[in-house]
Amino acid sequence: MTIAIEVNGLVKVYSGKVRALDGVNLKVKAGDVFALLGPNGSGKTTLMRILTTQFKPTSGEASIFGLDVIRRDAEVRKVISYVPQEMSVWTDISGYENLLIYAKIYGLPSTGRTKVIREALEGMGLDSVADNLVKTYSGGMIRRLEMACAMLIRPRILFLDEPTLGLDPTARKVVWEKLVSFKKEFDTTVFFNTHYMDEADIYSDEIAIIDRGRMVKFGTADELKHSIKKEVIQFILTNHIVAENVLKMIRSMDFVSYVIISNSELNVVVKDAETALPVVMEILRNEGVSVKKISMTRPTLDDVFLKYAGAISLQGGGIREIKQIRSMSGKGYI
Amino acid sequence: MFAMIELELRRLKHDRTEIYTRAIQPILWLAVYGTVMSHVKAIPTDGIPYLDYITPGVLLQSTIFVSVFYGLTIVWERETGILKKLLVAPASRYATVIGRSVASGVRAIFQVLIIIPVALLIGVDFIFNPLYFLTAILIIFLVSGGFAAISILIASLMKTRERFMGIGQAIIMPLFFVSNSLYPIKLMPTVLQYFAYFNPLTYAVDAVRGLLISGDIRNLLPDIAAIVIFDVAMFAVASISFSKIIE
Repeated sequence: MTIAIEVNGLVKVYSGKVRALDGVNLKVKAGDVFALLGPNGSGKTTLMRILTTQFKPTSGEASIFGLDVIRRDAEVRKVISYVPQEMSVWTDISGYENLLIYAKIYGLPSTGRTKVIREALEGMGLDSVADNLVKTYSGGMIRRLEMACAMLIRPRILFLDEPTLGLDPTARKVVWEKLVSFKKEFDTTVFFNTHYMDEADIYSDEIAIIDRGRMVKFGTADELKHSIKKEVIQFILTNHIVAENVLKMIRSMDFVSYVIISNSELNVVVKDAETALPVVMEILRNEGVSVKKISMTRPTLDDVFLKYAGAISLQGGGIREIKQIRSMSGKGYI
Repeated sequence: MFAMIELELRRLKHDRTEIYTRAIQPILWLAVYGTVMSHVKAIPTDGIPYLDYITPGVLLQSTIFVSVFYGLTIVWERETGILKKLLVAPASRYATVIGRSVASGVRAIFQVLIIIPVALLIGVDFIFNPLYFLTAILIIFLVSGGFAAISILIASLMKTRERFMGIGQAIIMPLFFVSNSLYPIKLMPTVLQYFAYFNPLTYAVDAVRGLLISGDIRNLLPDIAAIVIFDVAMFAVASISFSKIIE
């Protein structure tokens, strides 16, 4: 198993007082899609900017495919691509020209350059609008153009900072579909920051939650959801009356957190609904309680997020983030 | 580096309004100020008509205007993600800084190509020597590059557009007035003369005036030397300050 990103004890202090990162440790496997979740101001973007060699950490180490991001930054830049949160294409030239300029900046050899650009445009579904000015593009198209730019050098890792911020659901879906097919074709590792829990849930292999500059949770979406240990089994009963001793029996099971009954609704909160259901069902049947309907509610990533990083998000993200989102909306992002 | 020049050319291809609007101010200097002042005849210009005398200065002022405000592009690119993306590109950061500056020189050249025909129309008498002309263009190019580097330096200090606009104006006009653009340095108070001798614009105006108007190129080499020293110093400072823009 190759390790794509390794981070040890990373600290970043801004202007001597703001601790944006406070000892971050992280490992990302090659070929994974890795989602970094965190409330505003938790250090997501700072971490990504250090990993992409934009600036140096105050202390600690980080490496990309074994290359130290501080000492061997030039080599790191050859294997990574990065799509910043803000718009990163020139709007007063065409989409094709943007790719051409970036291809030249990236030093792509001139033979086959046109082919690479055409492939990138097709890959992102932009071939029909390639010669239009970027000004005329929609937010989703601009995002896809940026992805196309990032793919020109066939990176081993693609860093995406809030890749779908401000896009409508359809545009988000298209961006992700294109991204997934690119990832499959070139076996690229993808590392992305997001606020959208559903994206992390659907598209990522592993998730880390960062809060106040520290990693608070790490695992697959399922592991994270299970870690909450709060799943609800809801029974709709045919009869309103349930004997007190039945409730007592259910409550006494060690995997049951608590039981609530109101009218014909019996809610049993357990650690793992899938294994608990047959046991509870058995009790109900033995005691002659007839059940009309059963449903299970498993925690979503939102619940996970709120549990581990909920406190700070209530304080809001500060004016900078708001300004960023607003300014993007001005540029046709939203 | 050349990619940056190509970028500028492609942008200009799509939208030329900026070249035209930026040409208005220098044309006013020549057509209004120059024409009026040439009737006064109070400024000793070594026998050169006053309009001809100020043409090189106006030319340079308008080109460094383009260069100094090039930093604005950097500020804008910092607000968007372009700057970040350039930093992560597998290319040298110094090449990025230099490429940016040189690209602004290209924009400046377009400025020259618009002002010169207008000056000809008004009746400025140029020396028609292709070699002199090319040398003058080269000098303008070098000076604009240096000023673009200054503007990168300012951009690294002033991180918002509004502040940048103010400081940009506050730099160009004094440089223009405290130089030999509009009048010989000899006419200035002694203190200002010292400033004028530290002003790279003075040397550039002197060289371009020699090449395009008076034909007196005795000072050409020291002028170019001064400009090169200025460029090297500014590029060095800009490269260092560039890392500050990022954070």
